[in-house]
Amino acid sequence: MIQPFRAQAGVPLLEREGRFVYWLALVFLVAVSALPGLALLRASLAPAGGFDPWHTVTELARPSVVRASWNSLSTSLVSAIISVALGGVAALLVAVTDMRAKRAFAFLFAMSMLVAPQVAALAFKTLLGPASPVLQMIGLAPAAGTPNPMLSYGGIVIVLGLHHAPVVMLTLLAGFKSIPMHLIEAAQVDGARPAHIFRTIVLPLVSGHLAAGAMLAFVAALGNFGIPALLGLPINFLTLPTLIYRQLSSFGPSVIADVAALSVLVAVIAAVAIVASARLLAAAPPPLEAEHTIKPFWQLRNTRPVVEFFAASIILVVLVLPVLSLGMASIVPSYGMRLGIETMTLRAYGEVLIRQDATLEAFRTSFSLAGVAALLLAFVAVPVSFAINRFAKRSRGLLLFLIDLPYALPGIVIAIATILLFLHPLPVLQISLYGTPWIILFAYLSRFLTLAVKPVAATFQHMSPAIEEAAAICGADFFTRLRTIIIPQLLPAMAAGAVLVFLTAFNELTVSALLWSSGTRTLGVVLYGFEEAGLTTEASALGIVTILVVGLLMLAIDRLKPHLPKGVVPWSVDDSVAQSRR
Amino acid sequence: MRTSGFTALPAIVLGAGLSLGGLAGMAGSACAQEGKLVLYTSQPNTDAQQTIDAFKAKYPKVEVSFVRDGTPRIMAKLRTEIQAGAPQADLLLIADSVTMEGLKAEGRLLAHQGADVSAYAPGTHDAQKFWFSTKLITTGIIYNTKAGFKPESWNDLLRPEAKGNIVMPSPLNSGAALIHAASLTGTLPEGWDFYRKLKANDALAGGANGDVLRQVAGGEKLFGVIVDFLPIREKAKGAPVEFVFPKEGVSAVSEPVAILSTTKNPDAAKAFVDFLLSEEGQTLALKQGYLAAHPKVAVPAGFPARGSIRLMSFDAVKTLKDENAIRKAFSDIFTQ
Repeated sequence: MIQPFRAQAGVPLLEREGRFVYWLALVFLVAVSALPGLALLRASLAPAGGFDPWHTVTELARPSVVRASWNSLSTSLVSAIISVALGGVAALLVAVTDMRAKRAFAFLFAMSMLVAPQVAALAFKTLLGPASPVLQMIGLAPAAGTPNPMLSYGGIVIVLGLHHAPVVMLTLLAGFKSIPMHLIEAAQVDGARPAHIFRTIVLPLVSGHLAAGAMLAFVAALGNFGIPALLGLPINFLTLPTLIYRQLSSFGPSVIADVAALSVLVAVIAAVAIVASARLLAAAPPPLEAEHTIKPFWQLRNTRPVVEFFAASIILVVLVLPVLSLGMASIVPSYGMRLGIETMTLRAYGEVLIRQDATLEAFRTSFSLAGVAALLLAFVAVPVSFAINRFAKRSRGLLLFLIDLPYALPGIVIAIATILLFLHPLPVLQISLYGTPWIILFAYLSRFLTLAVKPVAATFQHMSPAIEEAAAICGADFFTRLRTIIIPQLLPAMAAGAVLVFLTAFNELTVSALLWSSGTRTLGVVLYGFEEAGLTTEASALGIVTILVVGLLMLAIDRLKPHLPKGVVPWSVDDSVAQSRR
Repeated sequence: MRTSGFTALPAIVLGAGLSLGGLAGMAGSACAQEGKLVLYTSQPNTDAQQTIDAFKAKYPKVEVSFVRDGTPRIMAKLRTEIQAGAPQADLLLIADSVTMEGLKAEGRLLAHQGADVSAYAPGTHDAQKFWFSTKLITTGIIYNTKAGFKPESWNDLLRPEAKGNIVMPSPLNSGAALIHAASLTGTLPEGWDFYRKLKANDALAGGANGDVLRQVAGGEKLFGVIVDFLPIREKAKGAPVEFVFPKEGVSAVSEPVAILSTTKNPDAAKAFVDFLLSEEGQTLALKQGYLAAHPKVAVPAGFPARGSIRLMSFDAVKTLKDENAIRKAFSDIFTQ
């Protein structure tokens, strides 16, 4: 392996070898990101083969589409406001006050985000309404004939808002970390009160992160399928993702051009939001250099118990009550019956864990798809990081765009694009991917790539090139350096990315709802199927099981945290932020 | 940092490695092998699983897996797979024979000449033995026992006391609901105006039959339109619901079974059809709370005698032709 070092003028030492990884990364990105995007554009602009954008225009002008677009915009916007308010308060409590039990608060609050949206919607659906086991127990259940208040515009907006609030909290916490402590200390010396410091110093410095958090919540709500599907479809309240789903799942391939047009519409709305937030972010003050970043400066004194009670109530509403309700709904003999000691039964658990082949198969499917996607993407992240950090010069922007695009766009767009790509058997090979697990895996690789790349690329960027250069000068070739120097440094970040991909894919419904087939139903699909079939008890039992799995995974990762680079465990509260000042 | 990576990754590599094995196994199952059957059905999950378990007890070497969804959606899935050149199903067990007639006309079904239909009345199966009815599933009215009155006619759903408290399945999600819409609009003198009046009475039509059961049993709505076996069965378990056969009659579907012409396992598929038509299979349907198609099998508890159920008729040929028009007319009335 050791070869004599030869000088090569003009090209930096480390770029002389391994350029092929750039091409590897480019081919992968074109396959999972550019091709589906082009398939979607082609189907919406040229549905019958020839260029005919009028089809798209007339489709989008239909009253039901206009209504669904309005519903989508309105629910996303209002829910984003709720997310920002709640997530903002949560971040404030964690980052600047001396509230106790912050770690637990942040962990539990973030856990409400990692409960799959369809499970959260189901939990809130069982929480209110005449059949609510919780309300029946305390004698507050509304009279029969009262509609379930969650099955409404308000229900959708509230559940979306609660579900995406942790995203805002985590984004803001990242922002708080860049605030220099000396600014706050200076204000304290001048005698400024905490509320004043917060308003005049902290808030302006995190305004960019606030805009970014609001955009994330808006786009996440816009693309959410599970919540409007469970809370809106039964009352015919349609958003764009549920309209697309209903069209395609009831009418089949005959409406593929129509749903392609709808997907482009969703994509455009999301893109506008992303661009707008990028503008806001650019206008925000640049991050300040700081040796010591913000520490909790807001001493609550007498009000601390009140604030802590408030924080506990947040956890109660976003996590404890819904999960409790779901648990109780899973042990009644038949939905609508009052829960009593003598009537409670674990029949539904037996049904979903032992009797029903479909659920067992779904556990296998979700574990396999999420596991394989996580593993593959962890390794793909290495050449991709090489490409964007070392070899791509003018094409860097394009690569980043291709990496981010499938995740930034709503999942339903990726699902439709993937169907379009594989609706016909592959040319030449004459193999059909539709109906196999590979089509879902493809969509997962496309959609979750960025989750795996982010931590690896960040680590790569901060790696000192000195060791690698020394090795290169000593004659170590590209593969030797990759094996002995690069990969070992990247491993923790690869593991962290893989875990993120796994957790996200394991909970996923939006993509698989349209791509499943016999033998490839995911947990999300099976749970939604139970609920649609009226088997609320079984759906609740399955929901509880998935919450347990996700909770256990989160705890496991929490234990791994000391071995991982900072900032890759999404719900982790940095020690420097979490510790109260003595 | 270096050591930490080595401690973290092996667990993930191992886990995902196992997963990869699982995925390869799943891919293998996509191409049917000897002894495997895939059933696409609109039966509720628990019923489908019981039916398959009973079949497997008799044919332990055949592995049957199933996919459940409303008939229109099962058909949409199947049509997508056919277009992609990879239909997954060997067998269809769906709500209505109209859909079967459509598939038969397209040459998508396989005749089962050897099926023993001697016990069945003509008309409950295709004359050329492409499809066979397995049950009689009627659509009537469900109400919550806390409702103010007992509905006896379809027109009772238009009463002001029921305003805002009615839920029904959508033909977008349910095959029985499609036939019901065709039957009801053909039988009632006001035709589609009946549905417009229902909408004016704030009736809701979003999901499928299971959703109707959930909403009425849970007391979110007091009245609903639904297939018979769901409320009759849940009432026996203790749910606060009652089922009514309205005086103008009920609509009916026959839950036919058929073999797809693209099946890779015709022998096992025929055995499955034979099992459903056998007295044993029909008795299982009875135990599950269905009105079995076999005339000699008893009527389940909670049902009136066979002869006393009044059926509304519908024009099968016209319904097949107008299938999408009916769905569109319905959803134009009911979508918010």
